[in-house]
Order: sequence, then C-alpha cells, then structure tokens
Amino acid sequence: MATQGNDIAALIGQASAHQKWPLARLISLVERNLPDAREQRDQIMQVLSAREPLDDCNGLVVGVTGTPGAGKSSLISEVCQVLLGRDSSCTIAVLAIDPSSEDSGGALLGDRTRMQLPVNEPRIFFRSQASARDLGGVGPQTFQVVRLLRQLFDYVIIETVGIGQSEVEVRQLSDHTLLVMQPLAGDQVQFLKAGIMEIPDAFVVNKCDEEALAQKSLHMLQSSLKLTHLALDQRKPARRLVFMTSAMRKRGIDELAAHLVGLHNDTGSRRDRKAQEDYHLRKWIRQEYGRYGIRVYEQRVLPLRQSDNAGIASSYEAREAQFIQAMEALISRL
Amino acid sequence: MSDKKKTHRLYDKTGDPTQDRPWIFRTYAGHTNVRASNALYRENLAKGQTGLSIALDLPTQCGYSSDDPIARPEIGKVGVPINSLDDFAVLFDQIPIEQMNTSITINGTAMWLLSLYVALAEERGVDVSKLSGTTQNDLIKEYLARGTYIFPPEDSMRLIVDMYEYSLHHIPFWNASNICSYHLQEAGATPVQELAFALVTAITILDAIKARNCFSEDEFERCVGRISFFVNAGIRFVEEVCKMRAFCEMWDEITQERYGVKDPKYRLFRYGVQVNSLGLTAEQPENNAWRIILETLGVTLSRKARCRALQLPAWNEALSLPRPWDQQWSLRIQQILAYETDLLEYPDIFDGSHVIESKVSDLKAQAYTEIHKVLEMGGGVEAVRNGYMKSALVASQSERMARLASGEQIVVGKNKWSEGLESPLVRDSDGGIFMVDAGAAQQTLDALAETRRKRDPAAVEACLARLTNDARGGVNLMEASIACAKARVTTGEWSAALRGVFGEYRPPTGVEGQRMEMVSESVGAVRQKVDNFIRRFGYRPRIVVGKPGLDGHSNGAEMIAVAARHAGFDVIYFGIRLSAVEIVQSALEENVDIIGVSLLSGSHNEIIAQLFEELDRQGARDAIPVILGGIIPEPDYPGLKAQGVKRIFTPKDFDPMLVMSEIMDIILASKVG
Ligand code: B12
Ligand SMILES: Nc1nc2c(ncn2[C@@H]2O[C@H](COP(=O)(O)OP(=O)(O)O)[C@@H](O)[C@H]2O)c(=O)[nH]1
Ligand SMILES: [Mg+2]
Repeated sequence: MATQGNDIAALIGQASAHQKWPLARLISLVERNLPDAREQRDQIMQVLSAREPLDDCNGLVVGVTGTPGAGKSSLISEVCQVLLGRDSSCTIAVLAIDPSSEDSGGALLGDRTRMQLPVNEPRIFFRSQASARDLGGVGPQTFQVVRLLRQLFDYVIIETVGIGQSEVEVRQLSDHTLLVMQPLAGDQVQFLKAGIMEIPDAFVVNKCDEEALAQKSLHMLQSSLKLTHLALDQRKPARRLVFMTSAMRKRGIDELAAHLVGLHNDTGSRRDRKAQEDYHLRKWIRQEYGRYGIRVYEQRVLPLRQSDNAGIASSYEAREAQFIQAMEALISRL
Repeated sequence: MSDKKKTHRLYDKTGDPTQDRPWIFRTYAGHTNVRASNALYRENLAKGQTGLSIALDLPTQCGYSSDDPIARPEIGKVGVPINSLDDFAVLFDQIPIEQMNTSITINGTAMWLLSLYVALAEERGVDVSKLSGTTQNDLIKEYLARGTYIFPPEDSMRLIVDMYEYSLHHIPFWNASNICSYHLQEAGATPVQELAFALVTAITILDAIKARNCFSEDEFERCVGRISFFVNAGIRFVEEVCKMRAFCEMWDEITQERYGVKDPKYRLFRYGVQVNSLGLTAEQPENNAWRIILETLGVTLSRKARCRALQLPAWNEALSLPRPWDQQWSLRIQQILAYETDLLEYPDIFDGSHVIESKVSDLKAQAYTEIHKVLEMGGGVEAVRNGYMKSALVASQSERMARLASGEQIVVGKNKWSEGLESPLVRDSDGGIFMVDAGAAQQTLDALAETRRKRDPAAVEACLARLTNDARGGVNLMEASIACAKARVTTGEWSAALRGVFGEYRPPTGVEGQRMEMVSESVGAVRQKVDNFIRRFGYRPRIVVGKPGLDGHSNGAEMIAVAARHAGFDVIYFGIRLSAVEIVQSALEENVDIIGVSLLSGSHNEIIAQLFEELDRQGARDAIPVILGGIIPEPDYPGLKAQGVKRIFTPKDFDPMLVMSEIMDIILASKVG
C-alpha cells in the first residue's frame, strides 16, 4: 500500500513534532527498496527542505564504531542521558546497525538491550537497522535515513556493526566519528596495523572502571599514537582527542557529552553534505551498475550540473533521476 | 548375624547391617497469599514431607511490594507474596522454625528474606543459631537462566559474601547460597555446561569470599563446607548418574587444590535436586509421570553421589502449577522409591564399573576445559558481562529445538506416537489445571496497608537511611537489613534503597550471533514466503519479540527470536522484564509488522490488556497484529482473542518454522486486509 502525497505531508508534520510512530513510518518509506521509492523519497526530502532550509547547522551526525562488545551501545545510552539532562530542548535520534545473517538474510537487532532511556519521551528516538549484508558495517539505506533524521534532531548518533571497514564508511555518513575501544585489549595495536587509526576523529577507551586502568590505557594509547606520529599529526591534530570512559561506572561521560555539545554548537564541524551525497550516489551507482554506471555518471550527469542553465539538479534525488534517465537513454539505444 | 561381612551390604559403626536413611522429601510450594500457603505447608508436613521449600511470587523475587503497579498482575501467581515481617509471621504460623529445614528459592532479594527469617526468630525468642536451611542466592544463574536479578553482578557478589560472612558467625547451619545447575539445564545446558558453569559459579563466590579476607583459615574451611548445590537430573539417567559422580569428584579436587581445604568433610559435594521439567510435555501429559521416575534414578542410584534433598515436578508441569493432588502423586514416587525398593540397602553399586568410570572421566575432562576457559577470560562475573556463558546456553537450546523439530531427538507423544487415547486426567472438571483465586490478592494488599498504618514511620526512615549508608560505605548489610525487617520496612522499600545505591542491571540476551542449524522443507517454505514479501513490499518483515512483566522464562522468546532470524526476519529482541509500554514503544519506533509476546508466568490476561491499552493510547490498535505464546490455559483463549490477540502458540507448536510460516500469513493478512 503506497503512501499518498498528502499522507506524507501529514506524516512529516507529525514526525517534526517527534511523534514516534509517524517518524518510524517515514523512515520505513525512505528505507524501502521498490521502483517507486525514489520518487517518494524525493517528495519527502522536498517537503522537509521546504520546511526548513538545508544548511550546515542541521543535526550533528556522530558515528560510533568499535569492535562488538566494546560498549558502544552502553556508552551511547549514557551519553544520551547526559545530553537530555543538560538541555531540556535537546533532541536525539540513535540509529543502531546490526549484522544480517549471510545464510537467511535476517538479522537480530539487539542494541536496545543496553539502552536505559526514558520511555515515551519525544526528545529521544531509537531505531535499529540491519546491515543487509553490506560490507561497510552500515546498511545501504543508512545514508538516506541519516539525511532524514538530521533534519529533525539536534544529534543523530549512528552505532555501526563495528567490524572491519565500517570506520571508513561511517566517516562518509557523519560529521564526527568516535572509535570505541576496550582498555589494554590490544585493539590499539591491531587498529594501527590495519591503518584504521587514520579514521576516527576521537578515541574512546571504554570500560575504564577504575582510575588506575584509565591511566594505564591512556598511556598505552598515547604511545601507540606516537608510533603513527606522521600519519596522525598532519591531519587536524587539534581535533584528535582521547576519552577515557566507563559506561558502567558512569565515568568520563560528562566530558564526552560536553565534547559533542561543543561540536554541535560549532557550525564549522559539519562535513560537506554535497560531497557525502556525491559519495553515496556513486556508491549506489557502483553497486547497481558497476564501473560503467560511474562512467555514465561522470560523463553525462556531472557536466549537466556544471553548466548552470541546463537544469542542474542540486538535490540528491534529482541527480539520481538524471542518472537513471541517462542510463535509460543509453539502454534504449542498445 | 554372619561373621563375614558381605561386599554388597551396608554395615554401621558397630558392624551391624544397616541401611541408609532417605533423603529429605521436599515439595516446592507457595501461592495465593500467606494464609493459603501456611495451610498448605502444614498439610504437606502432615503428609510426611520432611522439609519446607518456599516458592515466592515474582514481585517478591524482583524486589517490589504488592502495591507497586508493576506487581499487580503477578501477586500470588507463582508463589507466595511477602511484603514485610508481618507476612512472615503468618506464613510460619504454628510451624516450629527451629526444627525446620527451610529452603527459600530467593535470589535478587535473598538478603532481605534471610533478614526476615532471622528477625522472625528473634521476635519469637528462638535461638537464631538453631536456624537451618538455605537461601538460593545464586545470582550468576539468575543472569544466565532464571531472571530475578536486580543489581549489577559485582554488587550482587558483595551481597552474597555479606551473607556468607554473617551466616558463618551467627547461623552456622544456614547455607547462605545454593549453587544452581538446575536452571542452567532448564535453559538448555548440556551436562558438561552444567558441570562447568555451576563450578565456575562456586569458584567465583569462593574467590570473592577469599578476597574479602574476613575469615580465619579455619573459618574459611567451614565456609567452603557450607557451599551446597542445587542440581538437575534429565531423562538420560545413566549420563546423569555419571554427571553427579563427576560433580562430587571435581568439587573434592577443586576445594583441595584451589582452596587447600584439608578436612574431607568440608569437601563433600552436598546437593539437592529438582528433576528436569523442560522435557515434560503438554502433549499426553500423563507420560510425564514415568519421565519423572526415570529422572529420579539419576540422582538416587549412586550411594556415593546421592542427593540430600529431592523435589519433583508433577505430571501436569506443562499445563499449569500443580494442584495439591498432583503434588501428592509426585511425593508418592519418592516414598515408594525410598521405602518399597531395596535402593537404600547397598553400598555404591557403580564402584568398579569401567563404563561408568570412563564416562565420568570424559565428562570431567570436558568440564575442566570449559572451566579453565572461563577462568582465563576473568571468571564468572566477566563471563556473565561479556555474554559468553549465556550465548553458550542459547546455542545449546537452539540445537535442542532443532533436534526436536527434525525428530532426531524422540519425545514420545510429541514428535513420535503422538496419536493416542485422551487422558482421563485432563478430563477433570478443572481440566487438570490449577487456578489461583483472583480475589486473594486483596487480602495481601490489605495486610500490607495495615502494616504501613501500624508501623513507626520515623523508625522506618532511620533504618532505610542506615541501609543506604552502609551500602555506600561497604559495611556488611545484614545487620541493617535485620533492623529494617523489625521496623516493618517493606520488600519494595528495602530493594528501592539498594537500587538507589547500586543501580539496576540487564544482562546480555545471548541471542545475537546465534546460528541455527536447521535445514528442512519447512525452512525453505517459509523463506520463500519471506522473499515474496520482500519483492512485494520492498523491505524485510520486521518482528518485535517481547517479554513484558516480571516473567523470566526466556527460552521461548529466545528460540522464537533465533528462529525468526533463521527464517529471514529482522528481529527486535531486547530481553526480559520490560513493561508493556516499552514493548509498544519499541514496536512503534521500529515500525514492525507484528508484535510477538511470550508469557509463561500466568499473568497473560492482565499484561495483554496493558499492551492493548497502550497500543490504543498510541493510536496503533488493530494496525499492528499481536500474537502470544507460552503457557496459556485454554479457558483463557476466548478472552484473549476478544482483546485482539490474533493467534496463541503453545509448547505444542514445537516446529519453529511452522510457527514462522503462520506468522507470515498473519502479517500478510493484516497488510492486505
Ligand atoms: C524451563 C522452565 C523454567 C526455567 C526457565 C529458563 C529460561 N531461561 O527460560 C527456570 C528453571 C529458570 C524456571 C523458573 C521458574 N518457573 Co518455570 N518452567 C519451565 C518449563 C519447564 C519449560 C518452559 C520452557 O522453556 N519451554 C521450552 C520453550 C522453548 O517453550 P515455550 O516457552 O513454551 O515456547 C514455545 C511455545 O510456547 C511458543 N512460544 C512461546 N513464546 C512465544 C512467543 C511468540 C511470539 C511465538 C510466536 C511463540 C511463542 O513457541 C515456543 C516453541 O515451541 C515450564 C513448564 C513446561 N514444561 O512448559 C515451567 C513453568 C513455565 N514455570 C513455572 C514457574 C512457576 C516458574 C517460577 C516462577 C517458579 C518460582 N515460583 O520461582 C520460576 C521463576 C522464573 C521467572 N523468573 O519468571 C510455571 C508457570 C506456572 C503458570 N503459568 O501458572 C510452569 C508452567 C511450571 C509449572 N507447571 O509450575 N522455569
Ligand atoms: N566493565 C564494563 N563493562 C561494560 C562497560 N560498558 C559496557 N560494558 C559491558 O560490555 C558488554 C558489551 O556492551 P555493549 O554496549 O553491548 O557493546 P557494543 O557491542 O559495543 O554495543 C555489555 O555486557 C556491557 O555491560 C564499562 O564501562 N565497563
Ligand atoms: Mg551494540
């Protein structure tokens, strides 16, 4: 049953007031993978952007990565409680991604287990998503949902599956990435070897339940970081930060929350949304049409955009439509 | 009397032939309210039962008073409600507690119940050092299998150690805790897992006691001697005989090698038993009587490894709580075994058997490997927190489910020889089902109100303040708790004070990352339905599997969650003890296609009503179909359906893929219709 235009406007109205079910249905519409889904997404994004101009001061998108069991969910739960408590108007959406089964395609979405969040509180919204066998540790539709949520909430926190390359992908979704690690688990060294240390904007060593452990871990991480001195320091050294937390003992949570508040208030902290859109459009094209698709995009769609009067498409959906048109034109010629 | 002693006979110290005394016969009992339960206990004692085994209701177990809204659906349902010392006085009315061996199945609030018992003794003028009995108080297995935990694991361990410290000095015949492998088997544990995880639990407790350094060497030995166990015995009774022998040998070795206990008397593996219930069927329930007898053999045949106390489930286990007659029938099994057979006349009948010896050493070797693995990862508390043990149990349970569905593991009357004449037992006017008197909860509430009215509020406040202070200050909490008991503090107040200091904890669910080994036609068929759905609607079907209320029976929900993922669903499952409101919220936020609720504690009517009320409030009633599974007596079906439940599943629906297939049909009907 397709949702009609005025239904969508109504849903968006209710979702903007942070009503849970309408927002959830809107997310489902954006996640949907059917031929008419793009048009509907286009419609949704248009209504949304008419409501409030898309600018860099939209929600801060925070990507949280790290090995399963490091405490990502627990930490997010604690940070959310602090953020909600600090500012009575603050709104947060959490999007938690879990792996899908290779065998059946189904997924167990269990991050709620660790969430101790207020119930029926419009200021916080929690949604689970399956990675749908996407190797990046975020789902193919994650980007679309993030685009939606960041227009409705002050903070959008994404918890990734947390293995392998998710750090690379999550960077393309978020303004700020946190890598959550366990103390002295040897993760640090592993990440160094994998070259993943390049990715996060900040490190969180969680499970520092005791002060001594926190100190020891800080030391070890700092010396690990020194090893990659060159690789690290050339990039925004001022923003590279380390946090020592214990979600269990509620240590270091205030500092981490304050860090996020600072980023939220800093308009300069938003990553270039157009570049992210371009990345994700290319990613989708590559998945659906391979390298040929990318060539078509570069040769037939990008030039369109550059010549101002040829009806350039500034929105993601319009460019997507232009690409599909270009592809269809080529295919019909074959 | 012959001069030459015979190897097959037992002789006493003076050389006269003798025979063993039987174990303690127990019946796990309690329900409705303190008055009804007191009458039941006195009746059972009169029938020849030789110890008390007290079942408490879920609010009492989870630390809520009866007048807490969360308690309402559960008051007196699966055990007796205890709100204050006044309730205890009625519960033990005319029962000489100084002569009783009283076993209390209590965990999250174990310290509170022990404090009430001590306070009762002191108010009655009984010498507290005479008290004997057990508080179950094994929190590790609560996180893994039973679900009535409250505080984080570290704080729970502290309370346990407090109780050992207090008991050793003041009530030397009290077993401060009872390490349980029983519940692990009910949650799916194999014999090796049962051995390993129970012994890990004992090690974790003893290590914590050692770390507190509150005992002299001598006292520590005695304390080790107070560690007792509560074990399960399944239908594979030869293996169970071996498991029990392995337990005895391993405990002797561990206490000697790890703790240096010199006196062999303190290294004895002392244990009580409840035999397996997980394998008792709803189908042809009369067959359960035979299963129970066979299970009893596993823990009684070996003289060397015989249980000290035994309680048996009843033939109608999978239908409802037992009625008095059902309990009497089960008690008779024990009496016949102990008094009619020659079981108790012989020395150990397996000594020298190569087969038994080989099986025992095999079990031991595997269990030791597992124990070392857990100790290396940091011990019992760490293996709770990181979900290692829980995942292992869920994996075993799903293997069992797959074996039942495929018929690889035969269960007579369930997946084999399921046709038969109807049992006359279920043709009783009550259908073989026990119904709690719904009006009885009011008496409990009235008594609680009366207690609140009569007590001195200043004293209550002072006692609670002391409790909180002592909790913060790391002082042993027994004295403060006993003072609370005497001041008529309530169960909810005692727990809330400590919740305030320690916080609450939710353990890992163990379902994540589970793979199901199940390939069958039904798997293919349901996946086909899922694929069609995805093609038609553009997304994967989503289900929330919810456990509302205080019910801790998680097996069914876990299996349904794992099976749904195996069928191809995206499954939202986030553990037990959630409110109906939380479950509805998750269903809405996740925009699921169906809400599946699992309830086994008997509170389904009230909780389903709460769920629909909340769906109504959110404007989502009828928009999201609701299904229910668990122990649901048939007379309740019409009422539940009238409320809006689309389908009710029971243990008879044991092929999870057929269940999934039906769920797909229900989803489709609701989307299209
Ligand atoms: C195993 C068990 C336990 C284990 C639970 C382990 C665990 N982690 O789950 C342990 C030992 C811990 C336990 C404890 C207690 N138990 Co118990 N337990 C059982 C037992 C023997 C089997 C239940 C089970 O797990 N079956 C296997 C699973 C896979 O089956 P299932 O849950 O029925 O699920 C199937 C279907 O029902 C259906 N289904 C279930 N849920 C859902 C959900 C959906 C969405 C769908 C589609 C389908 C579905 O599909 C499943 C697959 O076939 C039953 C009796 C029996 N034989 O049924 C008693 C029973 C449920 N327990 C009972 C009681 C009283 C207790 C206690 C409260 C006792 C006490 N006073 O302390 C405690 C406390 C537990 C608590 N915290 O709530 C009573 C409940 C009485 C009542 N309803 O009136 C029963 C009926 C026994 C009895 N006759 O007295 N128990
Ligand atoms: N000791 C300790 N355990 C923690 C802490 N944070 C999380 N955990 C535990 O680590 C396990 C995994 O946590 P979870 O948040 O689910 O991790 P995720 O897989 O990264 O999301 C859980 O059992 C938590 O209780 C912490 O600060 N200290
Ligand atoms: Mg997580």
